[in-house]
Amino acid sequence: MKMYQLIAMKEGRQMMSSRRGLVWLLAFSCLLSAFSLLLVSNTELSLLDNAQVVNMMCGTVMAVGALLAVVLGSDAYAGEKERGTLVPLLCAPIDAQALLVGKALGMLISWAVMFLVAMPYLWAVGASGQNLGAALFYLALFGTPVVLGFGYLAMAISARTGSVLASLMSMIILLLLSAGPLLIGPGLRATVIGRTMDMVNPFAGALNTFDSVIIDSQSFADQAGRFLLVAVWLALCLWVARRKAAHPEFQ
Amino acid sequence: MITIKGLHVSIEGRDILKGIDLHVRPGDIYGLLGPNGAGKSTTIFALLGLREYESGHISVLGYDPKNHGAILRRSIGVMPEHAGFYDWMTATAYLRWYGRFYQCPSTSSKVEELLEKVGLKGEGQIPISGYSRGMKQRLAIARALLPRPRLLILDEPTNGLDPKGRREIHDLLTDYARDGSTAVLLSTHLLDDVDRLCNRIGIMDQGCSRYEGSLMDLLTQGKGSVRYRLHLESEPDAVVMPAGMDLLGRDGDWWQVEIQLKASEGPSSYWRELWRRGWPILEIRSEVSSLESFYLDTVAPSHLQLRETV
Repeated sequence: MKMYQLIAMKEGRQMMSSRRGLVWLLAFSCLLSAFSLLLVSNTELSLLDNAQVVNMMCGTVMAVGALLAVVLGSDAYAGEKERGTLVPLLCAPIDAQALLVGKALGMLISWAVMFLVAMPYLWAVGASGQNLGAALFYLALFGTPVVLGFGYLAMAISARTGSVLASLMSMIILLLLSAGPLLIGPGLRATVIGRTMDMVNPFAGALNTFDSVIIDSQSFADQAGRFLLVAVWLALCLWVARRKAAHPEFQ
Repeated sequence: MITIKGLHVSIEGRDILKGIDLHVRPGDIYGLLGPNGAGKSTTIFALLGLREYESGHISVLGYDPKNHGAILRRSIGVMPEHAGFYDWMTATAYLRWYGRFYQCPSTSSKVEELLEKVGLKGEGQIPISGYSRGMKQRLAIARALLPRPRLLILDEPTNGLDPKGRREIHDLLTDYARDGSTAVLLSTHLLDDVDRLCNRIGIMDQGCSRYEGSLMDLLTQGKGSVRYRLHLESEPDAVVMPAGMDLLGRDGDWWQVEIQLKASEGPSSYWRELWRRGWPILEIRSEVSSLESFYLDTVAPSHLQLRETV
């Protein structure tokens, strides 16, 4: 077994078998249950058509996934440092890049589990519509690079600062800034500033794609520009993480 | 095994190491001494390839750690000062997982054998969260010994251990270094550990090497013999002394002995022989600790200087 696989195996087991991981999954399930219940029972929300409901849920799953990546990424180096487990890892014959890849794979396992947990909920609210398959496909295709990008960036800050709190605070602010333009009204988003922010914001890019393919049934070719945006985002975050994780703060 | 010449390390513009020289040969148990903040840990991290250095030369097992860090770490067992573990794992699962990084066959039986060696027999299936500090210390030593390393680097290995535990670890280390092809680098500020185990020492202070040489030369200083006081748990079965050692007298549980030192090795061979003969030794103290007075003389002037500048 390769070094990065050993790290990923540990990360996956830690997430899935630890109390923290189980609490996270339970909270995520409760959130999706409450959301589904609201969509069915709330007078105004129940008027939304099927595609809009699936679109909203895809956005929620990606946002929670990005939050999970931020938490795991912040803990990846700084958390290990604070618990005294980073130095023994660095003293073993593990290449710094293998450590990063292993940690990213562990994060990907957690995202995959979240994705699996979300599937029955998406099916429950969207099975009667026509775009459930597309929703799942685009959630995987656009959601994964966005989530992983946030995770890489959190790992970079975590490796550089050696502080979970510093990394977590910085990344939550960045996550809120990314999601911020989506919270402002449609009128403001239609302005030059709003459109520019949509163009450079990978989070907005992914959400707009969900909107286009799930509600408007657009084709993949129409989403090429947005896909490029999330791909560039992932590549940029990976580049930063590789640089910072090459010499993590451990002492 | 380790050669360091004129090592300079800066961290965020601050000079941490300002000229370190260190030489560890096969068979050595080398004591790296120095007050807190002297740069001992930074030296260790530099020789493992984890800390970049500005100038100087490092060769570890024939490799330059700057370019071959991961390769040389395959042959080194390290016990860092802060021994952290994944508390949710059992000791056996942890050691088996960790051993796979070294590509060594860490089977359950091998791991159990190692746990028994460090005094954790029967504790392997308990989650590490249930371990005491001393047990974690023993587990950290097991982790360092796991890949059967050619070079063992230990940072304060006997911290948190009771006298019996310390003696067991001392035995383990002397056994490990006995075959002559391996070496131990022991970073500590417990002079008793150095007195018992080491044949060579290096003293560091404020990022500089202050002394390096044979512990025996230092202790005997031309006298050829050194006196020790041994604290025994109970009466030994037979008071027959090994060759080269004389019993001078006793005061309660404390027995005074004089040993003839051999230039090539430390006093540890005498202690091993006494333990073999059933002497229940709890503590060993130099009658007049040449090492302690030498150590204080070596590091104190710089501390005084520091105080004056502050």
